[in-house]
Amino acid sequence: MNGASPARTELAMGTLVSIGVICSSPEAEAAIERAFEWFREIENRCTRFRESSELMQLTARCGEAVPVSAILFEAVRFALQVAEESGGAFDPTVGHRMEARGFDREHRTGETIRSGVEAAGDVSYRDVEVDPERGTITLRRPLTLDLGAVAKGLAVDAAARELAPFRDFAIDAGGDLYLGGFNARGEPWSVGIRNPRLENELIHSLRVSNQAVCTSGDYERRTPAGVDGHHILDPRTGMSPPAVASATVVAPGAMLADALATAAFVLGPEAGIELLERMGVEGLIVTGELKRFETRGLGSVEHINVA
Amino acid sequence: MAQGGSGKKTANSLVAMSSAAVLAVYAAGYTRTRSAAQQLDAQSAERRPANQDPSRGTPLSAEARPAAATPAAGESAAAAVPAARAEAETAAVTATIAKVPVAVPAPEPPAPTASVAAQPFEPSAAPAEPKVEAPTGSISAIMPLTPAPVAPAPVAPPPAPVTPVVAGYKDGRYLGWGTSRHGDIQAAVVIEGGRIASATIAQCWTRYSCNVIAHLPPQVAQRQSPDVDFVSGATQSANAFYYGVVDALSKAK
Repeated sequence: MNGASPARTELAMGTLVSIGVICSSPEAEAAIERAFEWFREIENRCTRFRESSELMQLTARCGEAVPVSAILFEAVRFALQVAEESGGAFDPTVGHRMEARGFDREHRTGETIRSGVEAAGDVSYRDVEVDPERGTITLRRPLTLDLGAVAKGLAVDAAARELAPFRDFAIDAGGDLYLGGFNARGEPWSVGIRNPRLENELIHSLRVSNQAVCTSGDYERRTPAGVDGHHILDPRTGMSPPAVASATVVAPGAMLADALATAAFVLGPEAGIELLERMGVEGLIVTGELKRFETRGLGSVEHINVA
Repeated sequence: MAQGGSGKKTANSLVAMSSAAVLAVYAAGYTRTRSAAQQLDAQSAERRPANQDPSRGTPLSAEARPAAATPAAGESAAAAVPAARAEAETAAVTATIAKVPVAVPAPEPPAPTASVAAQPFEPSAAPAEPKVEAPTGSISAIMPLTPAPVAPAPVAPPPAPVTPVVAGYKDGRYLGWGTSRHGDIQAAVVIEGGRIASATIAQCWTRYSCNVIAHLPPQVAQRQSPDVDFVSGATQSANAFYYGVVDALSKAK
């Protein structure tokens, strides 16, 4: 995080979260503390890796309209909407398949957590129903929700709101970035997109302000179960999609950017870019052969969103 | 792709929806402190005027205590009933969630710090006034809070004049809640031999760490009074603690 002086880093949501504000002050420190609280709070509710989490409580109550917190409700509702928009390429009901592939450990303790839910092979987001009137979520069939892609982005966005009064700040949650205002030199933040095949090389660089940048890459978390693949599954096949090495999205918020990056990754280069354009966000998709696919607006130099 | 077609429309819907969702979540987290802030606005200004006369300070009787300082009664979801927390929370929240498809800051507790909420679910009480946030398509809305009271608990007149500091409490351990604009604090007071033996912060639900007022609890026993020091930069937390002690002592009568 260039320029954000002294950034604080904590472990949350299975990743390192760094938050820095350009002009530090006691108020800013307090806001940073609250920003971290959002991460803890949202993780506590939305994690698949703790039996006591609200998400897992919900999972245990199939067929019922379960009243849930605003956090869980909004996260699920948004995830379902992205599922709808992406034709199921993004699907929060992949939880059981993630478990089957060995993504079942609590990141701090290493303890294995499984929902115990035997989900039919064809469950999908259509088996989840939200009722905005009553604030309830109903799982129509046994399934495990995975809000990984949404919850982290939501936490980043909530943290960004917490820090908004300080204008110039940076939040980095394991590659989910939100960059507020300008860097220490008064310029838009510079964000490098790494080459998915070469760890220390950048394949693209962006200038952003008041925007989120999220990248879904096949290099982040390889599957522990020995199966070929990584942590992103095509919900429609249960396999890791091969074509894309990384998908980067620039959007007004991290929840949106993360979910769409995941969806674009699954869809593949052409359909992925098409989705991003249709959603009105910018993005870059890089294939395993390092071929680049961009949205039309990506090249238009700086992506500055003056709030 | 499920929905081809009208690109711009769907685009807007997803972008708007995400910011609305963040707003709803953020506002929900703030609601509790927000309403407390309003209730206490007048109150805290008057409650402990900067220059108090020396005779001030001491347990206000329970009756005299401002309603707003009691997190429990009256308020819908905003009340903090620790015992009820874990499960109840889910329920409390929900009821308050929606009404409006998009942004619905649920009048509901979980402030980021005060991670959990509140009261057992009472369908009638909960959705006090689902106030509708300004439609939120726009991402630039930085602070989402509309100043609408959520769980209107009547702001009672400032605490009645104080009674002298004579002990005579019943022995035992008593808990009391104090509210401030930045959240609630539960104080625990131990009475031994009719006197205040110790006071502690039992639960800290303020948005800031209670470390800033860590030196206050011992003062309660030293002074045999809830009248702890003001803390520059942590006035609200100090006030919340003060109220908590007052609340606890009222139960020890």
